[in-house]
Amino acid sequence: MSRGVRVQPRGAVRPGIRLGIPLAALVAALVAGGLVLLAAGNDPIEAYRTMFDSSMNGVNAWTRTLTLATPLTLTGLAAAIAFRMRVYNIGAEGQLYMGAIATSGLALWLPADTPSLVMLPAIILAGAIAGAVWAAFAAVPRALLGADEIITTLMLNFVALSFMNYLIFGSMSFWRDPERPVPQGLALPESAELPILSGRLHWGIFVAAGAAIGLWLLMQRTTWGFDLRTIGDSEAAARYAGMPVAARIIVVLGISGALAGLAGAVEVSGVTGRLDPKSLAVDIGFTGIVVAAVARTNPLGVVPVAVFLAAITTSGSSLQTVGVQSEIVLLLQGLIFLSVTASEFFVTNRVETPRIRLRSAPPEPEGAGA
Amino acid sequence: MSDPASAVGTPGGAAVLAGRGLTKEFYGVRALDEVDFDLVAGEVHGLLGENGAGKSTLCSILAGLYRADAGSVLLDGEPLELRSPIDAGKVGIGMVYQHFRLVSSFTVAENVALGMKRRRTSRRQLETEVAELADVHGFEVDPTAQVWQLSVGEQQRVEILRQLYRGARVLILDEPTAVLAPQEAERLFEAVRQIADQGRAVVLVSHKMREILGHTDRVTVLRHGVNAGSGITSDLDVTDLRQMMFGTSDHDPAPRRDSHHEDAGRPVLRVTDLRVTGDRGVPAVHSATFSVGRGEIVGVAGVAGNGQRELHEALAGLRAATGSVVIDDIECNGRTSRQRAAAGLSYIPEDRLGTALAPGLPLDHNVVLKSYRRPPHSRLGFLRRRRIQETTEDLTDAFDVRGARKGLQVSLMSGGNLQKAIVGREVTGPHEVLVTAAPTRGLDLAAAGAVRDHVLAERAAGRGVLVFSEDLAEVVDLADVLLVMFQGEIVGRFARDEVDVDHVGLLMTGGAEELT
Amino acid sequence: MNDTVLVLSIASAIVTGTPILLAALGEIVTERSGVMNLGVEGMMLVGAVAGFWAGRGTGSLLLALVVGGIAGALLALVHALLAVTLRVDQTVSGLSLVIVGTGLSAYVGTIGDDPLLQSASGITVSPLFPEAMRDLPGVGPILFGHDIVVYISWIAVAGAAMVLFRSNVGLSLRAVGEDAAAADAAGIPVVRYRYVATAIGGFAAGVGGTYLSLAILGTWQEGLTAGAGWIAVALVILAAWRPLLALIGAYVFGALRGLGFTLQIADVEVPSDFLAMIPFIAAYLIVIAASANPRWARRLKGPADLARPYAREAR
Repeated sequence: MSRGVRVQPRGAVRPGIRLGIPLAALVAALVAGGLVLLAAGNDPIEAYRTMFDSSMNGVNAWTRTLTLATPLTLTGLAAAIAFRMRVYNIGAEGQLYMGAIATSGLALWLPADTPSLVMLPAIILAGAIAGAVWAAFAAVPRALLGADEIITTLMLNFVALSFMNYLIFGSMSFWRDPERPVPQGLALPESAELPILSGRLHWGIFVAAGAAIGLWLLMQRTTWGFDLRTIGDSEAAARYAGMPVAARIIVVLGISGALAGLAGAVEVSGVTGRLDPKSLAVDIGFTGIVVAAVARTNPLGVVPVAVFLAAITTSGSSLQTVGVQSEIVLLLQGLIFLSVTASEFFVTNRVETPRIRLRSAPPEPEGAGA
Repeated sequence: MSDPASAVGTPGGAAVLAGRGLTKEFYGVRALDEVDFDLVAGEVHGLLGENGAGKSTLCSILAGLYRADAGSVLLDGEPLELRSPIDAGKVGIGMVYQHFRLVSSFTVAENVALGMKRRRTSRRQLETEVAELADVHGFEVDPTAQVWQLSVGEQQRVEILRQLYRGARVLILDEPTAVLAPQEAERLFEAVRQIADQGRAVVLVSHKMREILGHTDRVTVLRHGVNAGSGITSDLDVTDLRQMMFGTSDHDPAPRRDSHHEDAGRPVLRVTDLRVTGDRGVPAVHSATFSVGRGEIVGVAGVAGNGQRELHEALAGLRAATGSVVIDDIECNGRTSRQRAAAGLSYIPEDRLGTALAPGLPLDHNVVLKSYRRPPHSRLGFLRRRRIQETTEDLTDAFDVRGARKGLQVSLMSGGNLQKAIVGREVTGPHEVLVTAAPTRGLDLAAAGAVRDHVLAERAAGRGVLVFSEDLAEVVDLADVLLVMFQGEIVGRFARDEVDVDHVGLLMTGGAEELT
Repeated sequence: MNDTVLVLSIASAIVTGTPILLAALGEIVTERSGVMNLGVEGMMLVGAVAGFWAGRGTGSLLLALVVGGIAGALLALVHALLAVTLRVDQTVSGLSLVIVGTGLSAYVGTIGDDPLLQSASGITVSPLFPEAMRDLPGVGPILFGHDIVVYISWIAVAGAAMVLFRSNVGLSLRAVGEDAAAADAAGIPVVRYRYVATAIGGFAAGVGGTYLSLAILGTWQEGLTAGAGWIAVALVILAAWRPLLALIGAYVFGALRGLGFTLQIADVEVPSDFLAMIPFIAAYLIVIAASANPRWARRLKGPADLARPYAREAR
């Protein structure tokens, strides 16, 4: 008599399923991307091999990948901590710009002969603070008035982008190099540059890795993280338990903004060496949302996912050599995002077709209310 | 009596609706096990069983909401494929759920017309039709009123009207009296009888034997998802029904022990002139003043929606209020819920999953939901997971909480076990007052009994207990002092030996003026 | 001549606001059914690329709009699958739609021997009414000066308002969004309503994106919506899920987007970067102001079951 598909919650999910199903979804997304390439007349195998070679094969490739993975980890963490509490900060993009502006501004303002030991902590802290302050413009109205943070953080992105463009392209600001006729940011002093490990890979990677571990400890092991997990699951239960919900929302959005600002800070100090809107406005903030979602908002999961997505992104330019438009990487990111998001359903539920469903066990003594 | 085949057969007249071998499982638990059921036109058919016996599941299958895993539904002897409530509605089967399915921001008329196939009627015309139909059945309902403005009893009438408006031949009422005052229930039974006399068949679901005996023609009893017997009501008495419901004819609740605490009677919760505003911005509680003494259970009776929820939420600090709330000599109004808990307040809200518990998190998280900041569960802001685990194990042992597994989200545990866990959490640890709302709602008899025993144990230990319940029998059974709420006011106060259920019922429905 | 500046500004605001209006109107229908689709920006982009491609190929504006609409609807159905059937977090699902839409449109627009990028559409969008009517003083340019799409959008606003608030279907749709369990019990097919409403939202966004690329910009470029989809999402909230208010709001945002043009005529010099900020600052401030006012905020609650997945057998 029973027809169709039956869906049952799995209950406690085994780690094999928790990891295996999103991984299967990732593969499915890559296959779908391959089909798109095929339809466009490209050879998907060749394209994927090129992508692998340019991002994961050899020291140079890994250096490039990890250089991009550094800010991506930070924006991924920014999204993860907020999403975990079901507060949707999608303003990492703008918070990153503001971080970059503050970091470069302070680096230019401080005397050029300030020792690195003072300069670097100061400017990186400035970037984090600027990101947090920019997030606060959304956090305070959200916590006190309930103003939709999705809309406000997003609107603030566009404002921050225009502001950054104005500083370099629209005016003769403090940030702009007055010597050059073509608009360009003024180069930071050497003391404001993060030490290089290899190629363009800089010390920022330790900042990112440290942030991931610290955030994981905070979420899983502290009473503060206990509050966050409760609020994220049910605000009513958190209020019932006496947790200060509004304060936590403000602080979490602040931390989220600070992490995004940090991403901007390490990009300026480690990679661009100046306020350079063209190389900062490359969707690092938005991709952070993809990172967080694919990592299922787990801070430790953010790191490998950021590396993987960085690998896909950096390989875009090399695809031109085999005749594939680099825009495919954007599509791949989207497909991965979509597919892993959809897979969440299969992580939490068992889907059975009637044919393979086994006859169930006899009823347990406790009755099931319906 | 356990063999359904031995039950009294179908009386004269063919069954309009029948179930054969109906079976349904939820998450591996069999809620319904090969149940047969017959319904004849013109009868009021009682469906009796304790909570969790499968009554709601059976009704939901007959109404097309659930699909049976096995078995069939027959209408006029023909097999019926019910894929949804739409299919059921088309063939004239209508159900009124325990939790009403009305859109609260829509008007009565809109709710009555909702989901009906296109008919070219103007709003005015529809309202007239609804008003006429209501008149015929003696229902006083304003078709233009928005549903959220109506009392629970009025909302129930809208639900019934809706089914009649659609021409239901079979009307299924799931625990219709659970939310009504006694006098309202009597009016409902009169209406039900009239509906059946028009040739419709009515299924009346209840766990109260007295209701079934007094107001039905035939009865079917469910026990643990199995048909435990059926028969003509007038041939049966309380002993027979009890035998079928529980498999035993003696079933006495635990005796009630008096408190011998030294401070017995000294007020531990004092509420003075408390005023609370409701969700829609209108006053929900007007000037409530009462106190709860040590070793005393104060019960609050009332029909749902008369300010009880706002009152206990205000006491717990979840809702702003003016006036005074003194917990164990500490003035708490204006303080946070955490400060009130520290002053000695334990609180069991109505809403288990979502308020008392974070539904998506595991049991250990929920067990320390209020104590995680204190030793031994944390130190210097770091959680001590082993201690949390130990506390959880102690609590599941002491309060007989079953079904928890490591990492299992509590929303997948049964209601009875969840409530035992909540009660366990709230009565363990330092506290002076327990405020509890609808403590046994939806629980099966064993779980309800356990919860009731814990409430009595609180009293025996010299704590003050405040019990809110819409189940008048339950609150009368528990309370030393009974308060009655109506439209945000405390309209009556009775000592235990002065309680007159009819009088209380009258007060619950606004009959205070007539008496004084 | 100052009159003319005002009249022309209003007329231009109407045109600039039309893509936002179409997208917001669709999202109102979607959200009224209880589905929140934040992927409007992505659906507009996909609509734009498909519509531009169809328009360039056929030379027909109407055909281009239909193709763009269908492309938007197809992407919206992906959201419906995730949000309604698979019951994933609708915020996350909507965001994934934005990224997919951005990636897909950017890729499709640049591949092939004759990519859309930097090519001409070959479509001229002409006003619907004769010159005599367009030249009427004052009302002429505002009421009669537009192309057919503007009038279609007006009909769509009126139609949406009528259907939502005056019809049986609208009553059912709103019931699904207010209380899916109640709607289900009343025999309304909740899932079907939500899929259809989501597809309608995608179609409208796709049409809006097509109109933006073909009629307003005249070219296709990567990320051409530049936040218009997000403005539409904000507008749905600000308009309290009402089509007529969305019309007014869309034209206000249209005016703000076109402010540069107006100020240029009025000889006021403002850096272009600040002009670009204005609609976004306005949306930001209005959302906060609305939330701060209790009476307004209560109206801004939206459908009670918005973004809540519905599963019948959940206990």
